[in-house]
Amino acid sequence: MDKKTSEVLQGTLDLMILKTLHALGPLHGFGIARRIEQVSRDVLRLNEGTVYTSLLRLQQQGWIAAAWGTSENNRKAKFYSITKRGQKQLEVETENWERISGVIRRVLRLEAERSS
Amino acid sequence: MSSRREFRLRAFVATLRGLLHGQHRDDEFGEEIQEHLRLLADRFVAQGMSRKEAAGAARRQFGNTTLLQEDRRALKTLPSIEALWHDLRYALRLLWKDRGFAVVSIATLGLGIGAVTAIFSVVNNVLLAPFPYKGADRMVFPRIHNTQQSEGGGRQGYRVTEVLEFTEHNHVFDGITAAFGDPVLYKHGDGTEALAGARVTPGTFEFFGLPALHGRVMQPGDYEPGAPPVFVMRHKTWMERFNGDPSILGKAFVLNDTPRTLVGIMPPRFGWYGADVFVPHTLTRDAKGPADSQPYWFLVGRLKPAVSVQQAEAELTVIAHRLAKIHPQDYPPHFTVQVRKLGDSVVGRLEATLYTVLAAVGLLLLIACGNVANLMLARATAREKEFALRAVLGARRTRIVRLLIVESLVLAIAGAALGIFLAWGGLKSLVAAIPQDVIPAESVIELNAPVLTATLCIAVLTALVFGLVPALQSSRRDLNDPLRDSGKGVSGGFRGRRLRDAVVVMEVALSLTLLIGAGLLMRSFVALREVHLGLRADHVFQAVLPLPADRYNTAEQVTGFLRPLLARLKAFPGVVNAAASSAMPPYGGAESKMEIAGTTQDEEWQTLFQQVSEEYFQVLRIELKQGRPFSEGDVDDARKVAVVNERFVRKYLPTDNPIGRRVRLATLETAADPVHDAWFEIVGVVDDVTNRGLQVPTEPEVWIPYTITGYAVPALMVRTSQAPGTMMNAVRREVWATDPGVALAYPSTLEDRISEQLYAGPRFGFLLMTIFACIGLILMTVGVYSVLAYSTSQKTHEIGIRMALGAKGTDVLGMVVRTGFRPVALGIAIGMTMSLLLGRTIGTQLVGVTMYDPPTLAATTLLLTITAAIACWIPARRAARVDPMVALRYE
Repeated sequence: MDKKTSEVLQGTLDLMILKTLHALGPLHGFGIARRIEQVSRDVLRLNEGTVYTSLLRLQQQGWIAAAWGTSENNRKAKFYSITKRGQKQLEVETENWERISGVIRRVLRLEAERSS
Repeated sequence: MSSRREFRLRAFVATLRGLLHGQHRDDEFGEEIQEHLRLLADRFVAQGMSRKEAAGAARRQFGNTTLLQEDRRALKTLPSIEALWHDLRYALRLLWKDRGFAVVSIATLGLGIGAVTAIFSVVNNVLLAPFPYKGADRMVFPRIHNTQQSEGGGRQGYRVTEVLEFTEHNHVFDGITAAFGDPVLYKHGDGTEALAGARVTPGTFEFFGLPALHGRVMQPGDYEPGAPPVFVMRHKTWMERFNGDPSILGKAFVLNDTPRTLVGIMPPRFGWYGADVFVPHTLTRDAKGPADSQPYWFLVGRLKPAVSVQQAEAELTVIAHRLAKIHPQDYPPHFTVQVRKLGDSVVGRLEATLYTVLAAVGLLLLIACGNVANLMLARATAREKEFALRAVLGARRTRIVRLLIVESLVLAIAGAALGIFLAWGGLKSLVAAIPQDVIPAESVIELNAPVLTATLCIAVLTALVFGLVPALQSSRRDLNDPLRDSGKGVSGGFRGRRLRDAVVVMEVALSLTLLIGAGLLMRSFVALREVHLGLRADHVFQAVLPLPADRYNTAEQVTGFLRPLLARLKAFPGVVNAAASSAMPPYGGAESKMEIAGTTQDEEWQTLFQQVSEEYFQVLRIELKQGRPFSEGDVDDARKVAVVNERFVRKYLPTDNPIGRRVRLATLETAADPVHDAWFEIVGVVDDVTNRGLQVPTEPEVWIPYTITGYAVPALMVRTSQAPGTMMNAVRREVWATDPGVALAYPSTLEDRISEQLYAGPRFGFLLMTIFACIGLILMTVGVYSVLAYSTSQKTHEIGIRMALGAKGTDVLGMVVRTGFRPVALGIAIGMTMSLLLGRTIGTQLVGVTMYDPPTLAATTLLLTITAAIACWIPARRAARVDPMVALRYE
């Protein structure tokens, strides 16, 4: 297996989905999966089914809403869009993520300095 | 926190929706996934794969769809019915495997729940919802309350003008009706019999809203002047006196010398006013005739839905103050109108008893819960490994708790089923033991829908009480500990042990509370039997003689009947003596305002008075203390002489010689057959005879010759040399021989009557408490025993070591008894405190004994200690007999 691909970190999928919906507007599940795949440039090995688990979770939190519509190939599809509360949540999570990733970066740099 | 709650709410709504359209939503979700897979496959095809390869690759990239569906279901936070069903099956299987435990638990719970169900069904059908009438919970009756007197008492009867004023001027009732009871003389071929009659005002049957069972109820036309005379009969009377013969409907009966047509028979639960027959009566202000000789009507109104009791009391008080100016003799100087619930007129005596017993069975149920909780705790300790294994395999704590709660629920529901069965059986004997005439005639004691609903609620509640603590306790444990522990039981379950001890403490405390309650009631009952009645009730036959009002109005007419009758009775073989009286023991006569010549008073003086024939005191063996009893001459000449009781002397003439003083009974001057200048000379003083029941001190009473006025209904007292019950037919023949138009009503023996009126209620309470205290004691014993037996068996290994090291059997015995007795002693201390605190509720029912009665406290504590000691002794002795080698080998 390609060593560069890695599993999606627990909890980050929700954040990515929220961000995607925020940036691109309403999308169906397939569209979301494609977008994440595209952005990650195939670094992430995404089990696409988990997108739906995440979507359900987000829906129950009230951060996204779903509505039936028609897909580009004229079939019935469910479109998800971010809600106002979802946007607020996105801001909070983004801030959290940046703080934590900053910390982790600093820690890793520390390790790197010592081992060099 | 708030978003968490909101999430839960959302999830709950989603779950509800899911339960409703579960299948539909699953389909929809599947469709969405299928669409995703199709699009993914399309993409792979575009990249050059074959259709078949593409479909496989798509599925691989998507992952496990079944797992996804599971995830989706798991997100519904409430357990699905499917999972519950699974738990239920598992619980049933486990309980079947552990049959002994299940049987003991179900039996214990059944006993507790059954007791609560039985008593609650009495409370519900007697106190809470006894009447089958329309809007019965809003039916009230007004009572004139003398504000200078303490609670209780007061006038409940109203004169015709008062009834009309209340009816016409109130704005608080949406219906009102009045009735007065007088005996109806029913003449038939063989003689005359008395029926309890009620005259009822127009609209009475519409007010109660019950249709007739056969025929029809009274209609407005029946109340019109000149309408053909009709009457309606009660179901019970129809069954008992006429064997439920439907052909009597439409026939004419001679009632009070007037032929009346029977137009309707009421359904079984119609028992208004306890009357056998209902006769229409229209109230008019200028009415002369029978209504004035029995002038007090009982008034019932139904409050409008929005009207409060306080509003009604305020308005009726205003009306009553106006009426007090018209009838000043009927009102105390300071009064208000109190509005009482309809049921208060009947169930007063039983209410306190029933609530006490209900509280007692509540305690019993708690003891039962304690026992089952204990068994569950012991069992949970044994099942620790199972839970740990489940937890290691990924079961969450809530899952294990849920499983245990389902098990508890299964036990509780089975217990409830058994309880309902026990209650159904017990209720029959309970109904038979309830004293007559203290519950409303309308109430039927049965296991009806409200009772069964309550039972189910109780069952669920008990499941939570006895199930939740053990469940939480056993799921909280450290996962690794029990798996590592080889099960020697030396270190195991220390916390469980403490909890089980706590349950024992509670059980002992509750049992002691129950025992003390029962003990106090028993002491009180014994004291009640020893209360000085002032008369000898044995060998006395008694009955009431309602006289036809048209022929017996004046003193001469009444005397003209009674004098020959008493002479005939005295001459009858087997009769020792006979007398007439205007009141029946153990209750005194009418009340009158009173004054004594030569004394001045600030407040108003009251006394009871009775009219009697000359040998009344001899017949009832009432002791003469001073002066002389009535002579034949006193009575024959209607001399204005009086005999008073000692209480009268102590209260009103404490320092003077009462003999020769003169008393005025004001009420007699305004009676139907008035006495002019009602001053009586006291000729004798007799012993105090109970005249207001046993719990209330005897009131002042005055006896005067019956020949002075003829308005009161006479009662007959016949002292016999043989069993008084056998005299009824002889007495009835003598009465009919004197006047065939007179009937014998309420025939009975004085002993039976006193027993029913005075002792039946307390005996009922004491009997029930004793039964429940015994059950409580048994349950407690089982509880203490099972806890000790279990913990001793857990300690077998330890005991073995001790004995191997040289401990003697007696040491082991002492150790086990000591550990066992510690919680028992604590429980006794708590129970003692609790019953002293709770004593107030039971204190109101006690006579001649205080709630701190030392002998009762000592005896019950001793009984409980001995019982607990036995429960400790058995497992301790078994432990002492343990063979050290066997114990050490024991694994």
